[in-house]
Amino acid sequence: MKRLFKNILQESAALLVPLASIMLLVLILSIPRTGGYWNFLRQAPFYAGIYFWQSQRPDAFNIFSAFILGIFADVLGGAPLGINIMSFLILYIIAVRITAQFNIKRFSYSWLLFSGATILTFIFKTLIVSAFYRRFIPLNLIILESALIIAAYPLFARIYIWIERRLIHLEVRYEKIEP
Amino acid sequence: MKRQRILFIKENYVLRIFKNFMMAGLFAIALLLILVHKIDLGLISGVSKGVLFITAPLIRTAGLPAEGLSYAYKKASEITNVYQENERLRKENNELFLLKDQMRAVQAENAILKKLLHHFDTPNAQTYTARVIAETGSAVANSLILYIGKNEGKITPGNAVVSSKGLIGRIDLISGKYARVTLITDINSKIPAVVKKSRDRGILIGTNTQELKLIFTPLLAELHKGDILVTSGIGGGLPPDIPVAVIKKATTDTITAVPLYSPKELEIVKIIAYDITPDEQTAEELE
Repeated sequence: MKRLFKNILQESAALLVPLASIMLLVLILSIPRTGGYWNFLRQAPFYAGIYFWQSQRPDAFNIFSAFILGIFADVLGGAPLGINIMSFLILYIIAVRITAQFNIKRFSYSWLLFSGATILTFIFKTLIVSAFYRRFIPLNLIILESALIIAAYPLFARIYIWIERRLIHLEVRYEKIEP
Repeated sequence: MKRQRILFIKENYVLRIFKNFMMAGLFAIALLLILVHKIDLGLISGVSKGVLFITAPLIRTAGLPAEGLSYAYKKASEITNVYQENERLRKENNELFLLKDQMRAVQAENAILKKLLHHFDTPNAQTYTARVIAETGSAVANSLILYIGKNEGKITPGNAVVSSKGLIGRIDLISGKYARVTLITDINSKIPAVVKKSRDRGILIGTNTQELKLIFTPLLAELHKGDILVTSGIGGGLPPDIPVAVIKKATTDTITAVPLYSPKELEIVKIIAYDITPDEQTAEELE
C-alpha cells in the first residue's frame, strides 16, 4: 500500500515536471526586455517543450499537457482562445507520429524533425488565425518566429535535458524487484 | 537484475480507441473555444481573468531581480552625470517659466472664447500610472501586462493606455491587481482616428507588425507622409486628440502609418479612465 502510494506520488510529480518547466521558461521570457526580437522567442519554450517531452518522455507528457499549455499560451499572450490549443495539439500529434516512425539517436536528426514539425504547425496556425480574422496575417513575422524557435531548440532542449536528469530520475521509471 | 516498468502504461486496443476519441474531443473543444471567442461571450473573459490572476504575480516576482539591477545601473549613471544634468535642468526651468506665462494667457483667452461659442467640454478623465510587468506578445498577438487593477481605481476594459509619446493601446482585460493591454499594433486593434491637420477621419487598424493601416478614409482626403494621426473621440471610448501614429506612406490604395511610441520605451504607462459611451437606457432612447 505504501509502495503504491509512493508510486502514485512519483507519477504525479513526473507529470508535473514538463508542464511546470515549460511554463516557468515562458514566464521568464515574459519579463519586459528592450530587444525587439524577444516577442518572437516567447513561444519557443512551448514548441521546444512539447516536442522534446513528447519524444523523450511520453510517459510524463500527454495530450492533456499540450491542451493545458495551449490555454496558458492563449490567455497569457492575448491570442484568441483556442488557437494555440489547436496548434499545440497538432504539434503533439506530429511529435507522436515522428517518434513512432523514426528511431532517433542523434540530436541533429531530432532537431531536423523538430524543424519540420514546427513549420507544419506554423502553416496550420497561420491558416487558423487568418480564417479567424478573415485576412492574412503577415507571413514575414510567422517565418521569423518559426526560424527563431527552430534556432533556439538546442538551447531549450539542453535546459529540458538538465531538468529531466535532475527531477525525473531513471529510478522513477524502473524499480528493483525484491528477490 | 530484473526490472519492472511502473510508469509506462501497456497500450491495448480499447485504450487506443479511447485515446483517439479523446484526441478528437480535445480538438472539438479547441474549435468550440475559437467559436465562443468569436461570438464574444463572457465565459472567455472569466477564464482569462483566472489565468492572468495566477500568472501575473509570478512574472512580477521573476522580474524583480532584473528590475533591481536596472534601477541600480540607472542610479549609478545618474550620479556620474549629476553636474551636467543640473545645468540642463536650470536652462530648461528658465524656458518653462516663460512658457508657463504664455500658457496662462492662452488658457484665459481659450476660456473666454469657449464661453462666447457656448462650447460644451467633454468630462475630465481620471488618469492612473502603472508599471509594465510583462510583454506577452508574439507574431499572432501584441499585448502587455500592467501592475494595476480594479482595486486601484475606476479602470474598465476599453480605457486608453498612453506613453509619453501617445496612445499605445487599450485595456483588454482587468483583474484585481493586473490588467492586460492590447497594443495598437495588434491585429484586433481598431482606433477611430483623425488627421491632425486636415481633420479627415479613418479607422487605424493593427497588422501585428510595427505598421498600421488607415482604412475607411474619405475619397478626397488630404493625406501626406509625415501627417500626425490623433484619436477622433468618436464613439466615446477614447478621449479626442491623443497622438497615435504618423503617416509613413499614402497612396491611392493604401495608407500606412507607424506608431509614435517605441516598444523599447514601454516601462511606465498612463491609463486614461475615460468613457462617455451612453448607458443602455440612454442608448435605447437614442435609437
